[in-house]
Amino acid sequence: MTSQDLLPSSHVSAATHAALSQRLAETGAAYEPQFLAPETFRLLEAVAARLFPQPERSVPIPLAPSVDQRLTEGRADGWRYDALPPDREAYRLGLGGIQEIAQSLFQTDFEALDATKQDEVIEALASGNPPGAVWQMLPAGRFFEEMLAELTEAYYAHPWAQDEIGYTGYADLPAWTKIGLNEKEPREA
Amino acid sequence: MPDEEIAEESLLTPTEPAIQDPLLRELLAENQIAPADSTLEKAQPLPPATEEVDCIVIGLGAGGAPLLARLAQAGLKVVALEAGPWHNPEKDFATDERAQDFLFWNDERLAAGGDPLAMGKNNSGTGVGGSTLHYTAYTPRPLPDDLHIKRDFGVGEDWPLTYDDLAPYYAEVERFIGVSGPTPYPWGPARPTGYPMAPLPLNSAAQLMVRGAEKIGIQTSPAPNAALSARYFQEGVGWREACTNRGFCQAGCSNGAKSSMDVTFIPLAVKHGADIRPNSFVTEIERNERGHVSAVVYVQNGQNHRLACKNLFLCGGSVETPRLLLLNELALTSGQVGRNLMAHPGLQVWGTFPDEVRPNKGIPGGLISQDTHRPKDADFVGGYLLQSIGVMPVTFSGQVARGRKLWGQPLRDYMRQFNHIAGINILGDCLPHTSNYLELSDEQDARQLPKPRLHFTAQENEHRMNAHAEKVMRDIWAAAGATDIWSFQRYAHVIGTARMGLSGDDAVVDRDGRAFDVPNLYICDNSVFPSALSVNPALTIMALSLRTADRFLANNV
Repeated sequence: MTSQDLLPSSHVSAATHAALSQRLAETGAAYEPQFLAPETFRLLEAVAARLFPQPERSVPIPLAPSVDQRLTEGRADGWRYDALPPDREAYRLGLGGIQEIAQSLFQTDFEALDATKQDEVIEALASGNPPGAVWQMLPAGRFFEEMLAELTEAYYAHPWAQDEIGYTGYADLPAWTKIGLNEKEPREA
Repeated sequence: MPDEEIAEESLLTPTEPAIQDPLLRELLAENQIAPADSTLEKAQPLPPATEEVDCIVIGLGAGGAPLLARLAQAGLKVVALEAGPWHNPEKDFATDERAQDFLFWNDERLAAGGDPLAMGKNNSGTGVGGSTLHYTAYTPRPLPDDLHIKRDFGVGEDWPLTYDDLAPYYAEVERFIGVSGPTPYPWGPARPTGYPMAPLPLNSAAQLMVRGAEKIGIQTSPAPNAALSARYFQEGVGWREACTNRGFCQAGCSNGAKSSMDVTFIPLAVKHGADIRPNSFVTEIERNERGHVSAVVYVQNGQNHRLACKNLFLCGGSVETPRLLLLNELALTSGQVGRNLMAHPGLQVWGTFPDEVRPNKGIPGGLISQDTHRPKDADFVGGYLLQSIGVMPVTFSGQVARGRKLWGQPLRDYMRQFNHIAGINILGDCLPHTSNYLELSDEQDARQLPKPRLHFTAQENEHRMNAHAEKVMRDIWAAAGATDIWSFQRYAHVIGTARMGLSGDDAVVDRDGRAFDVPNLYICDNSVFPSALSVNPALTIMALSLRTADRFLANNV
């Protein structure tokens, strides 16, 4: 069963239902960036679209808004690599750095590149040693790891992504009794 | 959606953070937009301390809660100050990792060194119950020689206590909070009493580990876990229901089956008159002319309070405890506060199986082996335990991103195998090293207090142990039928930053948990561990907590 079947069912507790339905309600809604400048936010969206290409969805799972919201509110997740500057600065510098890589490799802005070239830019970043002045002060490998992990966790927190991997753990009521190898409850079928 | 919890959390992490970003600072200065006043920015007149209590306990995790109950039971007037809120898990806890972020200590800590320690959800909690609200509940006892690493190997540090000093407390904790486990337990000395409940059922990962370990001659057993395999009567609570195999231990148990402090020692403490003050963040510890602790200043809901006390029990965990000591220049003469920082090697090995695993169900750490406690072919000091692990999807996806560096379509393709993936990991001992320590940084947090910086670089011994463990785990997983096997290096549990010892020359507290420098200051959490032990720390912290209370009561009342 998918989230569409399970969410309205009695298998989902009220607290869980509230969390997931809010996430669904925000999907597809227009989002005005509050922290990042509009052009920087669009760049983040373009990068997120290559880290999580979603060609099969007319409305993609939104990823960039959760980053902008977190930076706006100044929320942290308990730690930061000491080698990186504070998150707001790291994101602004890092996104500027991605533009620098695109310019250095293709003399074009990242958003104007085709998907293959965009992926080459990201590959250069992921390799840890990309071209660009920004990367002299910002450790590319650490920045990429942090950005990728944040976007990945945002993606797999979404009910559609959980459907995609066959996860139904949010259907938390009443209990799981079939927990061994090759066992599943009717609601997992 | 526990909106109100998040609202409370925002009090802990105010939405006006210190502005670290030089660009933003410049912009604000140019536009003359002053950041909102923080109550902590200006020195404020302190309120008079209107009451004096026998004991203040700071922090309500595994270190603070058991001793709080013990002190209250002895008839003392006790107040507990907990930085985080008091939750109602049944109503507030969602089966959703994101929504449960409020359980973690999310104030930023700086992770430095060659192997920077992930904090937050990896090992640091807040709220009435502390990190036990999100611990995995894996509660093996250490083996006796864990406490004597220096005696046996000539390096590291010995505990000033023996296993026999702690054994009665282990038994009491296991019985009181309700640990489900195997009787008899296959490793270590015979025990006078067994676990109060049968082990929890094995999930898929545990079954796969049995299969693989059998083939290569490693003995396994259902693991001891502090979660109920049957209904259990809890003093101060009533009947607690059995575990529903929801597998969300690390994001909060919603039915009280997991034996976190909020459903065990804290209700007991309350029943005996303890005063619990949630959302109370301690900023100052005051001393009198004799150098004894006399009062504690804390902020609750934006208000400064001052509470006088005869004794202070500091149980904030191995980051906040040394931070408070350093900020208040308290108990520093040994030079050991913040030093000896250790973290357990927690290397994980993952694999893909043809069987359906569905790794989110069941108690995550279903199985254990301590055959690798002192491996015969070891080229390292100490040893480790082996554990099967369940996993929640968001946590797993983050590890895949960080550990495998997959992105784009390959990441989505790999994650589609989620229901066929299972993992095992180790928990290994760690030696102290001069390059591993905690300090206060120059960077301020939202409360205008210096952020802690944790330096951690795994040393030769940890590298050798990890290499040994990786081979063993890959062999087990290959024997169990796994393909696409990969490892994820991690370190968990911060330990040792205010260590216990025989002398104030090289330790912060004595064997009873009392600070050498300050006779009415006690510390109880994983910061006092002289060595890391080759097991998860929570059970030992609880046992030490009861012992600390008993020694205090024997000497003072």
